Amino acid sequence: MARRVETTITYAILSILAVAVLFPVATFVGAALSPDRAGRPVAGVLEWSNFVTAWQEADFARAMTVSATIAVTAVLGQLVLAVLGGFGFGVLGVWGHRILFPLVVLGMMISTEAIIVPLYYQFRSLGLTNSIPGIILIHLGMGVPFGIFWMRAAFRSLPASLFESAELDGAGALRMLWSIALPLVRPAITTLMLLSFMWTWNDYFLSLVFLHGDNQTATVALGVFQGRHLTLFNLMAAGGLIVAAPVLILYVIFQRKFISGMLAGALKE
Amino acid sequence: MSHLIARATLPGGGASQARRRANHNPRRRNRRIGLAFVAVPLVFYAGVVLVPLAQSFQYSFYNWDGVSRATWVGLANYIEFFTDPVLQSTLGHVLVLILFFSLLPIVLGLLSTALITRRRLAGMAGYRFVYFLPQVLTSVVVALVFKRIYSPDGALNTLLRSVGLDALTRSWLGDFTWALPALGLIGTWGTFGFCMVLFISGVSSIPTELYEAAKVDGAGPVREFFAVTLPGLRPQIAVALTLTITGALRTFDLVWVTTGGGPGTATLTPAVALYRAAFVNPQVGKAAAIGIVMALLCLVIALVIGRVSERD
Repeated sequence: MARRVETTITYAILSILAVAVLFPVATFVGAALSPDRAGRPVAGVLEWSNFVTAWQEADFARAMTVSATIAVTAVLGQLVLAVLGGFGFGVLGVWGHRILFPLVVLGMMISTEAIIVPLYYQFRSLGLTNSIPGIILIHLGMGVPFGIFWMRAAFRSLPASLFESAELDGAGALRMLWSIALPLVRPAITTLMLLSFMWTWNDYFLSLVFLHGDNQTATVALGVFQGRHLTLFNLMAAGGLIVAAPVLILYVIFQRKFISGMLAGALKE
Repeated sequence: MSHLIARATLPGGGASQARRRANHNPRRRNRRIGLAFVAVPLVFYAGVVLVPLAQSFQYSFYNWDGVSRATWVGLANYIEFFTDPVLQSTLGHVLVLILFFSLLPIVLGLLSTALITRRRLAGMAGYRFVYFLPQVLTSVVVALVFKRIYSPDGALNTLLRSVGLDALTRSWLGDFTWALPALGLIGTWGTFGFCMVLFISGVSSIPTELYEAAKVDGAGPVREFFAVTLPGLRPQIAVALTLTITGALRTFDLVWVTTGGGPGTATLTPAVALYRAAFVNPQVGKAAAIGIVMALLCLVIALVIGRVSERD
């Protein structure tokens, strides 16, 4: 009896909190589907064409392409860097690791604000502002600390005997990495790719600082769109959902990996 | 480079023999190959993070408009940060935001973790999915969602009118008193789910014997919470505090998209002040100094919380 009461209370609390999270999102989705400019839902009418109108009016096709180019390239590049660094620190061992590894971990505590100013002015003098390769380079460098931290932990969880026997067989470092270690750390790689996709796609600050005009990413374009069309809330909401969609879809498919990855990343375990 | 290879292949000679012996030791050889492996990511990291970090320090001692010659001003930029009333006020705003971004979500998260049963329940994955949702939503979208809710004809005012509290309705984000707490609540909405999922996963790793022992001692739910759950969650609480406090300190996207720091400077945060000083109305040295102060504050917060949470 007490158990049932306890269970009921638990579900009641969980549900109230879930509604608190979902209510604002639901009003937004409702607005995106509303024929009303102010975004008030109209019973029985779902205006799907809002998505088409928003897509065309705000030039989202271009902005989404820019975002996709940046995110995909940055994710793949970050992965290569993370695997190299993680394998070096985690399996091979690194000459000077007592200094180098703490230096890398320190990077997880350095906020963007501490580097953004010189980064911008240095990149400006190199002609790398308002350039897609430029911002990809920034994402690559800034992704290194977490990437190495993450892949090092994954490689270290593999039994050392695996590599010792491979070494006796005369396998070189690259072969050990490619044919022994990589296939075994695939789950960690998937999580890393999902997280870094989310971080680069959702980025607003770096894109706002570094990219302008035709190079604007989807998040910045959305911000500009809302500033110009305050009165077209239904279109703005539709645009917002378009921008949020890629990460949301991945989240629906890989929710366990997202949640466990972010918790593990937060706990640094 | 080439002379190194030549030396390694030269026969005889004490040094090169020692080197060859070292090369036979697989561990040592690995460590050098390891260095080659990590060198690639380290170059990217150094170029994008470490070098600019050092330059930030350098910039912060100069007065520069981004175009003409920079002039050395010593600590003036730092002194300005702590004496200029507008910049000073950003730190006060951060304190208010910490209340909403950090304390409120953590208290809410702990409370709900204490109230829900520790047994595994059906449907927990679904709830977790919902609670984590704000974490994966683009900050710009979150800002737009709430900008609408707080607008004069938004959901909040509609709700107030429907219960007869018309007198309380206002343009929440345009109000000098209410804009900052209104922004703060967006942070509460965004982080409490994360805290809660963190705490629930933490509780599941507290040994059940501790709870049984508390029961045998006749502890009620309140004492059980303070004697077992709270101490057991110490690492998770430390992490939640660190992330949310630094998050509050670094707030940018939310403010920039909703209020831009206004009305007046009522919601100005250090990050927004930095952006303005760096890119809108260039006082580059001042911007760099703000960035350095923010980074140091983040570091101190992380270290202090880490220390305190490990002490018994």
